Amino acid sequence: MAEEKVKACINLHAVLRNLEDLCELDPMSRKIIQGKNVALKFSVVGISKSVITFTEGKCTAVKGDGPCSINLYFSSPRNFNLMIEGKKNPIPTKGFQHIGFLKNEFTKLADRLSYYLKPTAELLGDKEYARINTILTAYTAFFAIPEIANWDPLGQLNASRIADGAINVEVIDGPAISITAKGGRLETSKGKTANARAFMVFDSIDTASGILNGTLDSYSCIGEGRLSISGFVPMIDNLNKILAQVPGYLM
Amino acid sequence: MKTYSYPRSQEIFRRASKVIPSGIYGHLGPSQGCFIPVQAYPFFVERAKGAYFWDVDGNRFIDYMCAYGPNVLGYNDPDVDEAVSKQMAIGNCTTLPTTKMIELAELLVDTVTSADWAFFAKNGGDVTSFALMTARAATNRPKVILFHGGYHGVAPWAQKLGYPGITAADTENNIYVHWNNYAEIQAAVRDNPGQIACLMAPPYHHPIFEDNQLPAEGFWAKVRKLCTDNGIVLAIDDVRCGFRLDNRGSDYYYGFKADLICFCKALANGWNVSALCGTDSLKEAASAVMYTGSYWLSSAPFAAAIATVTKLRQIDGAKLMLAQGRKLTAGLREIGLVHGFDLRISGEPSMWFMRIANDDNMLLHQEWVAECVRRGAFFTNHHNLFINCALSDEDIKHTFAIAEDAFKTVKERHPEIF
Repeated sequence: MAEEKVKACINLHAVLRNLEDLCELDPMSRKIIQGKNVALKFSVVGISKSVITFTEGKCTAVKGDGPCSINLYFSSPRNFNLMIEGKKNPIPTKGFQHIGFLKNEFTKLADRLSYYLKPTAELLGDKEYARINTILTAYTAFFAIPEIANWDPLGQLNASRIADGAINVEVIDGPAISITAKGGRLETSKGKTANARAFMVFDSIDTASGILNGTLDSYSCIGEGRLSISGFVPMIDNLNKILAQVPGYLM
Repeated sequence: MKTYSYPRSQEIFRRASKVIPSGIYGHLGPSQGCFIPVQAYPFFVERAKGAYFWDVDGNRFIDYMCAYGPNVLGYNDPDVDEAVSKQMAIGNCTTLPTTKMIELAELLVDTVTSADWAFFAKNGGDVTSFALMTARAATNRPKVILFHGGYHGVAPWAQKLGYPGITAADTENNIYVHWNNYAEIQAAVRDNPGQIACLMAPPYHHPIFEDNQLPAEGFWAKVRKLCTDNGIVLAIDDVRCGFRLDNRGSDYYYGFKADLICFCKALANGWNVSALCGTDSLKEAASAVMYTGSYWLSSAPFAAAIATVTKLRQIDGAKLMLAQGRKLTAGLREIGLVHGFDLRISGEPSMWFMRIANDDNMLLHQEWVAECVRRGAFFTNHHNLFINCALSDEDIKHTFAIAEDAFKTVKERHPEIF
């Protein structure tokens, strides 16, 4: 049950959250939402809500409650996870007039997201695909971290060992993420934070892609200077133990 | 001052990465060794002698890590190496042990105040695990009190739940308390009546990345009494400090007597042997535990240990290293202050920890350490450093020159701070 909850948190706040970036990075996705004006709220019993808004060709995902045009209610994390796996249809409790958006545009966006998050060796050969895949994979992984840190029993243990402060994670010529620890709870935000205490820098999109997709060994990359860590390193050491749990929840 | 580069090291590392996990795994590698940035550090040694090693690019370093402790007399000490050569000519790994094993046990019993017997293995972790098993065998109790931030090797019980490969069952008998917090230890003993087999601790607190802490006044006397009163075995992990504070054991140095004491690193000047020493009351329990290994009774490392301990006694190695450490750390701090750096020194001088405290994220410290390494003083930024007996005043003077140049370089790079 606890596992279903963590998985639902990750699916909602790390995987689906990516729609925001997908619509910015992928021209086809941008086209799909052109002219749409819909706010989709995911209400899953037992976890934080999320509102994903599509307006003027842009998408924003906000964790927490807020006004919406469609409310999708799930009586349990498991039911939400089944929807993500395509084994259950969402039930709107508000906004039946927007059901067409759910069936058409939203489904197409979900397919695009899946396309970018499930790479093949052939697809990764395309530089632009690899770039988008890396950005979305990085966001998925690093936004999944707080969910594991805050709800998974082993994640909570490792999070409790992270000193208070921020960790900046940066891909040169790519995205940057900041993870803030306070009292054993973690929060991820896009962009770097001033006065971070620890730093993880991937020297290129290629390195980040290789490490996140499992084709490069991160420890060898440290030795070769392709992945550099600095600052109060125990924060990163414990963060990486949580990061290592992410694939288990995404399988 | 000339700075080093490492093209050959980096080339060899790429070769290593193809066939060895992490290229170089563990604490000697760039990842766990916190080589920050990696470009500032050599990866492979070509040769070593005395207080120095030379990397595969031909750069010479004054080595303040001493192989993380084993180099205590100086690399390739002639007396130790001669003893090893002589033993190798006679026999090393044999079906039955040679009497070298007894000679070493007798020497340790004669040297280490709390030792009535000695049991040998290979690594520090072998003997910390054996100490715990011996305590459990003697008391028929499961639990152990450990200190947060303490390190007792890499056996599953010595790691933490949440680390790769560790299960809840591995660590369920561990109770963690904070260093110098006697009230917490008392509470742990009170809350687990008849359950605690052992309290295992280093003689002083030497975690990584943090200022090291000496035992508070009266701390060990109170802990000793609490253990005695409650039938708890007091095991001192002297793997890192052993023979660098006092030849008679670090428990002796701090004025108490351990029931069990673990030695490794400095025991044989780099030859592979570790020892658990104990009091008579635990000898039978130690005998009862099934514990052995393929190379544990090999004679050449015993010969090395005998030569090392004998020489450390002759020259009073611990006193010498403490004195050199005091000289070095006082000078480094002084030079730092002149250039506006608050270089904090903690722990014991023969194996001190240092950290630039001008910022709270260690970036300045990592930069300064990297600049020292590039100029030939091999420090790490996360771990305590080590002195060895071969370190000369001339080496210390040269280290000061390196440190000063490194401080100047870092200062010039950060006009926003200085």
